[in-house]
Amino acid sequence: MKIATLDVRDHNTVFVRDDRYFVLEHEGRLFLVQDKCPHRGGPLSLARRSPDETRLTCPWHGSRIACAWLRRRSVPIVRRGTEITAYLPEPAVASSVFLAKRRIVANEVSAAPEESIESERRVAVYA
Amino acid sequence: MGVAARRDLRGRPQEELRDLVDEYCSSRLFQNTPDVHVLGNPYLRPLSPETVGELDFSQPIREEAFSSYGSLVANRMLLNFYESESILLPRDGLPSAKDDFEAFYDDRLRDVATAIRPSLERYAFGFLDEAVDVAGAWTVEALHAHFMRVVEEADATEAPGLQAIRRLERPEDGVDTLLIQLALDGLTEASAMARNLGGAYGPEQSELFKFFIDEFGAGVYEAKHSTIFEKLIASRGLKTDVHAYWHFYLTGSVAIINYFNYLTDDHRKFFRYAGALTFAEWTFAKFFTDLAKLLGELFGSDVDTHYCDEHGHIDVHHGQMTFENLLLGLARKHGDEVIPELVRGVEEIRLLARLTDEEFIRQIGWADGLDEHRDRGRRLEAGEEIESVALEPGHPFGTRTFDRPSLVSVGSGELDLHTGGENPPFRLAAGDAMLVPAGCLHGLRAREPSTYSRSLVESDAGA
Repeated sequence: MKIATLDVRDHNTVFVRDDRYFVLEHEGRLFLVQDKCPHRGGPLSLARRSPDETRLTCPWHGSRIACAWLRRRSVPIVRRGTEITAYLPEPAVASSVFLAKRRIVANEVSAAPEESIESERRVAVYA
Repeated sequence: MGVAARRDLRGRPQEELRDLVDEYCSSRLFQNTPDVHVLGNPYLRPLSPETVGELDFSQPIREEAFSSYGSLVANRMLLNFYESESILLPRDGLPSAKDDFEAFYDDRLRDVATAIRPSLERYAFGFLDEAVDVAGAWTVEALHAHFMRVVEEADATEAPGLQAIRRLERPEDGVDTLLIQLALDGLTEASAMARNLGGAYGPEQSELFKFFIDEFGAGVYEAKHSTIFEKLIASRGLKTDVHAYWHFYLTGSVAIINYFNYLTDDHRKFFRYAGALTFAEWTFAKFFTDLAKLLGELFGSDVDTHYCDEHGHIDVHHGQMTFENLLLGLARKHGDEVIPELVRGVEEIRLLARLTDEEFIRQIGWADGLDEHRDRGRRLEAGEEIESVALEPGHPFGTRTFDRPSLVSVGSGELDLHTGGENPPFRLAAGDAMLVPAGCLHGLRAREPSTYSRSLVESDAGA
């Protein structure tokens, strides 16, 4: 397994070759989730969070992903204070781990109600 | 009234909790006497009841307050609660302590303990919920990787406490302080484990039983670990009565024993227990091998290191057995859902061990540099006065920590400052002012009618 250690005050994103993971804050806990929508791979870190904080809406196709669904599939981590140790899947090709700090829209609580795009096109839902 | 009564986390009004704590502490078993050591009677556990009223147990301590006085008192009480569920008998027979035996196992005392125990557990260990979190989709592979990483890290160097002893002017005092901390568990070894032996949970139950058998010398008293531990501390001239050094247990030493009881007393925490036990068993082997080496370097053949050698040997096996057959065994059988709890146990005991190491290092460093702290105290300006005390010879003896750096200034008379169970007491005369860093355990005895005051100081930095 690939082990990554990050202090969440300095970093919130982990890169392992082409895979990207971000720190999701949910219900007072931290989770490291793959930055990839299960629908077509959109960047979930840029997803909007529903006002009730239970779902993310992917910026690409509007797929709605339940936070609980993401948590169940998140990377195994241990948090000690502000430090996270993560056990990432080993990439097929040897690769280093890189850390970064980026804006995580998915951690920002949206004041506006979710747009109703369901009526415009079929939306994938992951609950 | 308009203002809701403050309640603890289980909804018990703070006043009710305080009344129950007061009732518990008022037992005659928990009153202080002039004695520095508690000999020949495992039921006497002084709690300095007159100081307990200043404490509020309704909200958990924060990690930074691990060595606070409230934390120390709560852990002392919890130790009493847990140990009242095991059998303790005086070495020289019951007749001299029959009334105390009855009082220690008294129904009302146990009822009170049962009522306040959840609040005190929350108070003492609630900070772990904040400090440690285990999240995500754990697998056996991830558990394996994490465990090997943390034990390799732990085994990479000599334990911080042993390194700190080597740096002391008087390492023999540091060793004795360490052995006194180990005596807390060494003389009643594996009692917490006993709670998890019953029931029916397959091969893992038999695995746990093997450790228990080893701890208890396979039924041979001479081989029981507590028996060979007695020989170790006796060879250093230390007292072997259970809790002879009650006053000198540091908070962390008590908290770690309590933590295992806290886990084994609630079977929902069984998986967490398995994680904590596995980490402990694995790291004991290196720790005791290093301790035997240190004892040999300091004292040669004058000290009986059989206990350390036994642990250094058997815990290599126990570490492997717990890891392969208990930790991984439980994970494989019960699925990924239980793995976060297994990991949480590993992480919680690692954190408690680190806090305990820091506390121990701070304590022995202070105790080793009392001259320097007295000289610094003389130069420091005293801040707000907290208390002024008149102390007579024969006054009840107790130990405590201060939550903030303090100056103890002797106004008149002469006092003995005790910082360890066998460390020579440090003499304080009229005009002396001792700097006591936050979280350092100490007790005072008057050599003659004396007065002293305690004042706050801004910082003990550089002390």
